[in-house]
Order: sequence, then C-alpha cells, then structure tokens
Amino acid sequence: MRVLLTLLRRELRAYFLTPVGYVVITLFLVLMGLSFTMLIRVLTQGPSMAGLTQAVYGESLFFWIAMLMTVPVTTMRLFAEEARMGTLETLLTAPVRYPVVVLAKFLAAWLFFLLVWLPSLLYPWLLYQMSPDSGVLDVGSLAAVGLGIAMLGSLFIAIGLLASVLTRNQATAAMITLTVLAVLLFYGFTPYWTQHPVLQQVARASSVLMHMLDFSRGMVDSRAFVFYLSGTGLMLFAAVQVLESRRWRG
Amino acid sequence: MISVSHLTKRYRAFTAVDEISFEVGQGEVVGFLGPNGAGKTTTMRMLAGYLVPTGGEARVAGYDVRTESLEVRRRIGYLPETIPLYPEMRVDEYLRHRARLKRVPSRRLSQMVAEVKERCGLLAMGKEVIGRLSRGYRQRVGLADALVHDPDLLLLDEPTLGLDPEQNKQVRDLIQSLADRHTILMCTHILPEVEQTCQRVVIIKGGKIIAADTPEQLRNRLGGGNRIRAEIRGPAAEIERALNQLPHVERSAIRTLHANWVECRLDVSHEVDLRTNLYELSVSRGWPLRELHLFSRSLEEVYLRLTGDRVSRPGVEKQP
Repeated sequence: MRVLLTLLRRELRAYFLTPVGYVVITLFLVLMGLSFTMLIRVLTQGPSMAGLTQAVYGESLFFWIAMLMTVPVTTMRLFAEEARMGTLETLLTAPVRYPVVVLAKFLAAWLFFLLVWLPSLLYPWLLYQMSPDSGVLDVGSLAAVGLGIAMLGSLFIAIGLLASVLTRNQATAAMITLTVLAVLLFYGFTPYWTQHPVLQQVARASSVLMHMLDFSRGMVDSRAFVFYLSGTGLMLFAAVQVLESRRWRG
Repeated sequence: MISVSHLTKRYRAFTAVDEISFEVGQGEVVGFLGPNGAGKTTTMRMLAGYLVPTGGEARVAGYDVRTESLEVRRRIGYLPETIPLYPEMRVDEYLRHRARLKRVPSRRLSQMVAEVKERCGLLAMGKEVIGRLSRGYRQRVGLADALVHDPDLLLLDEPTLGLDPEQNKQVRDLIQSLADRHTILMCTHILPEVEQTCQRVVIIKGGKIIAADTPEQLRNRLGGGNRIRAEIRGPAAEIERALNQLPHVERSAIRTLHANWVECRLDVSHEVDLRTNLYELSVSRGWPLRELHLFSRSLEEVYLRLTGDRVSRPGVEKQP
C-alpha cells in the first residue's frame, strides 16, 4: 500500500512538474470553452427543451474531441517515457510488484483526468445561474454525468496505458491511443445503423456514445458500469502481462 | 552472496550469456570484465531481476532470482550503466522517493537519506533539480539511490563511465569506501579501476567466462611473463637473430636508433628474467649495452590477450 502511494505521488506530481500536464489542461480548456460558447450561441436563439447536461456532454461534438485529445496526451508518457529514459529499469528492479506499478500509474493518470474534467460540471450549473429559463438543470443528471466521465475516463486511460507499455516512443503511444479511442467512438454509432434486434442490443450495451447520452439524461445503468470496469481491468491486466513478458524477451 | 550456475540468456537466436557459473562471497569486491557486448549488462540485469534467465540458476543471498525476485530486489542496490534518473525531481525528493519504494521505514527515512548523501558527497545538492546536474553528480545520485536502503549487495554497471579523471577518482574512492560494508559486483572495462578496487576478477567474453581469479593470480597464471626493453649497439640483423635464440621469447621487435644503436623489445612468455642473458650476449659479442629494463605485464595486457580485444576504450554497449 505504501509502495502504491509512493508511486502514485510521484506520477501525479510529474504531471505538474513537466509540461504535459499543462498541455492537457490547455487543450481541455480551449475545447470545452469553444463548446460552451457554441452552446450559448444556440441558446440565444431560444430556450432548449433538452437538459443542459445533454447539451454540454454527450451531444456535444466538442466534448468528444476534448475526450479524444486529452486522454492520449495524459497517458502517453506513463511507460513510454520511462522506457526511453531507462528509469523503467531502476523502477522495476526496486522491490515493487508489477501490478502495483501498473495500478499506481493508472490511478495517477485517472486522478489527473478527473481533476481536469470534474470542474467542468460547473458549466451547466453556471448556465442555469445566468439564465434559469435557458433549459432544464437536474442535479441528478449532473451527478450521473460526473460518474459517466469517471467511467469513460477509466476505460480510455487504461487503453492509453496499455499503448504506452507497448512502445518506448510517446508519440507512437499517443497515436495508438487516439486511433483506438476514435474507433471505439465510431463503433458507438452502430445502434443507429442496424435493425437486427440482437445486434442492436449488443451494440447498445457496448457503445460509449450511447452510455454517455444515457448518463447525460441522468440514467445510470449498471450494465455500463460492468462494461467500463471490466474493460479497464482487462486493459490493466494486459499491461502487466506485456511488462512481465519483457523480462523474458529482454 | 551471489551464486550463479550455468546461467544462460538467449534472445531468439542470439545467446547473450552462455552457461556461466561463478560465485561472489560475502564482503567481496569483484570486477566483472569484458569487451562490449560480452554479456556483462545482461548478467547484471538477470541478477537484479530485470530479466529472467533462459536457463541455469542464479541466487542472491540465497534467493532464486527467478522465483523469489522480490526478495532478491530488496537486498540489492543496482546502478544501471545509463544512470536513469527522473530529471524533473530534486535530489532530496528523488532519494526519499526511492527510499520509500525500497521500503525504508518512515522513521528512518530522513536519517538514511542524509547518511547516503553525506557518503556520496551530495550534502549541498539536495535542492538541485536532477536534470540540471553534471554527469559526475548524476553518477553520485545514482550511487546514493543504489545505497539508500543499505543493501547487502551492490550491482554497479560501469560506475565510472564518462567521468573526467577527477570525478573518476572520487567515484572510485567512494566505491572503495563502500567495500567494507557491502558486497560489490562491478562491471567495467577500465582496468586500473579493477586493479585498485577489486579483490577478484571475472572475465567474460562472448557470453562465456574465460577467467576468474585475483588480479595477481591472473597476471601470473595467464599473463605470466614480462617485457624487456634494451638498447644495444651492433648490427641490427645479427642482434635480431640473437634475440630470437633466447629462451621463452614470444615476440621481439627492434628499431634502429641513431649511430648503430638498436632498441630491442622482448615479450617473454614465462616468469624468467632474461636481463642476465642479454648482458651475457652483449659481453660475448662485444656489443655495448646502455639500457636494460624489465616491465611486468599489466592486467591490461593479460586482459587483451585473453579477450583478443585490441580496443579497450569506454563505449556504449548495445542495449538488447
């Protein structure tokens, strides 16, 4: 436990001691700021029937762009940087278990992600304060969105972490992550294309887009949790396996 | 402290370490010598638990590196050749971080870090950002990290690589001062370093151990012999013929100086003193002799003869 906290502390601090953390924060603020401005522009045309959380998250294109941009930059350094600098060797020859190293790095990236994203929950609230009749604000759906972002982030970051284990080049890790996340997002549209009932059910249960739309409507479905938590677990398990296998291959 | 038997590491078709066996006793300082790519780093990495052996067995402090890696890693301080450090951290921060990782109890943390900083000459550097340190100081931070949990065994991979002579001496003195508290296995290809610091030498080449002994024994047993330099006046061709008839002469080289003086260099294969023979030769032939010197062979020559490695300059080993 102490080892986990020690590693977690270093990883989290690294985000603020190196430029990467500020790059992520800037990216995020620019994109979400754009999204917010666009939303206000739409709302000046007249009140919206939909909930404000739906407008800021889920349905907003900028939300997804911000998601797809910030995650790879957050995760690319996790292992790739250490492999390139050689510090992976000192790290892994310290008396630490590999799963603990992976978990600590995952938690650090995830906490940083939440730190960047959760304050954005104030956006719908702010809108509501400024103009109460611009739409509907539901505290429940705000909480649901928070949960949704945390879940989505956990899977996305685990994917990014696995990509970072696979290469010693940070740019490559970021590209792999971006590609996988983009494919995952586009796959999320499948329920719109298919009429087949079984296929549609499967696609709906594994669509990050549908999940986020649900969350932004205030719907919290346990199937989504199972999807994200098992997905995260699977990615982290794979990362440990790749690290372990390096000891054999050299 | 270290017991290695038939240890092997293969990367696909390439065998980096080929069934090597050696022992390092408690408190010994052993030099691990060999040309670049001989398998030194791979062996170190297996001992440190970073790589898993393909075959054979290695034990550190009685623990198997394969099955009890965590126990092994608790007891070693490993300094890789590249001295990897986190550039964004400060020296104190880094050492405290590493000490925590290596499970130094919280109440002893500050004391251990302070102690190791003093031993490595880092007392004034605690607040410095690692990325801005000079190579010499980075080396010391690396050593301090290896030492911070007071390990039984130190594995040092080329600890003086890339240092200037002054820093080199400082690091060597530091290592020497560690010798009474720790067992040390040290990779190097700088021979004076070995002669000064190590009680025993293991020489590896092409993944195989080709010699293991004390530096003196190695010189005697394998190197044996000496070298003579003399200056004689006389006909060069005749001198050369006469020299080659002397016993145990392995190689002779002559060079004509001015006024019929000839410089002669003899490599003698056994521990015999040919100076008397040369004197007698000079007297019997009536060739004046004005200089006669006997040099014992250095470990460096022994090493070069053993490894057939003509170039022994520091360089970067290929990373697997």
